[in-house]
Amino acid sequence: MTQSQPPAAQPDRFHGHSIAMGQIGVACNDGVLRTFLGSCVGLALHDRRRRIAGLAHIVLPESPRTGGPPGKYADTAVAELLRLLHGLVDGDALHLTAKIAGGATMFGFQSGTTIGDQNVQAVERLLAAAGVTIVGRCCGGSHGRRMSLDVASGVVTIQAVGGARDTIL
Amino acid sequence: MRSPTITHLTTVFQRAADEASRSLSVWLSRPTTITVKQVAALPLEQAVVMLGAGDTPLCLCAMHIRGALSGVLALAVSDASGLALADLLLGRSIGSSTEWGELERSAAAETTNIIGCAYLNAMTAEPDVAGSRVAMPSPPWFVRDFPEAVMEALLLTCEASGNAVFLTRTVFEIQHTAIQCSLIFVPQAGADAGQAAAGTAPS
Repeated sequence: MTQSQPPAAQPDRFHGHSIAMGQIGVACNDGVLRTFLGSCVGLALHDRRRRIAGLAHIVLPESPRTGGPPGKYADTAVAELLRLLHGLVDGDALHLTAKIAGGATMFGFQSGTTIGDQNVQAVERLLAAAGVTIVGRCCGGSHGRRMSLDVASGVVTIQAVGGARDTIL
Repeated sequence: MRSPTITHLTTVFQRAADEASRSLSVWLSRPTTITVKQVAALPLEQAVVMLGAGDTPLCLCAMHIRGALSGVLALAVSDASGLALADLLLGRSIGSSTEWGELERSAAAETTNIIGCAYLNAMTAEPDVAGSRVAMPSPPWFVRDFPEAVMEALLLTCEASGNAVFLTRTVFEIQHTAIQCSLIFVPQAGADAGQAAAGTAPS
């Protein structure tokens, strides 16, 4: 079973569900959630015992006062992803672990603390505050990533254009 | 350029394309025309997937502009179009280049430099921009990556999450060979054109 904020979850040609920019998808039992990342951060949460998982494609570290889709901003996306996952188990306790990827700086003319750096830092801070441990990460660098989350196992696969091999988290 | 409309920008971009055509013709010593087929203002979420999605890489050469009209100007091409363009620029027969080596990247960067400066000249010649701060472009930066990843990174470079992105579809014709390209202008958040652009996105 997969649910997400519309129009996030669309079956793609990899037989997974594609999570668009600023969107969140959650699923249970089986399936694959995927997203493409540049400066954005992909946050995967997984409960191995319950076999439930969620993936958020976070664009910016902080939400504006004017609102917006909750999946777009780190501060609202972490809370919303936790809410959606708890909704799958009727509010029961979850034993979640996190894996994060993305936050690249793809253009050489960017300097200082880039938006990618800020996104990673914000997600790390918010997960720590929520008591969720990060067990795998593939962040920074200068290349884009395709992030795939296997719902049953929680295994996250990271692929890059022309990459010699995949990174498994 | 405080209140650009698509019609206004199309006129400016067509003038820029004419100037870029002349510059490229001189550089290549052969007839070159650049034609603007379409100008669109798109919100961020649409712009990210406008140039493709999935695994097929997108090549993009970007220049960061500081001063008047702050933002990023970028030329986007597929592998096939970009390598064909490099072949033409390097005086080879089309199909000679099969991967992006240093020479091919350099050809793409030089093309972006020439076209980008022509567009910048046309845009800064607008009455309400002329005489203001000088627009200073950075050297072009070449990236080849997943289309969504590279577009997302480009847009966030300009903190453009609330702004529209101007995208022009252009066709290069160099000695009767057509090459499909897209030229992208992302106004920096808070810049004049950016503020105006937010109100010009089509519904």
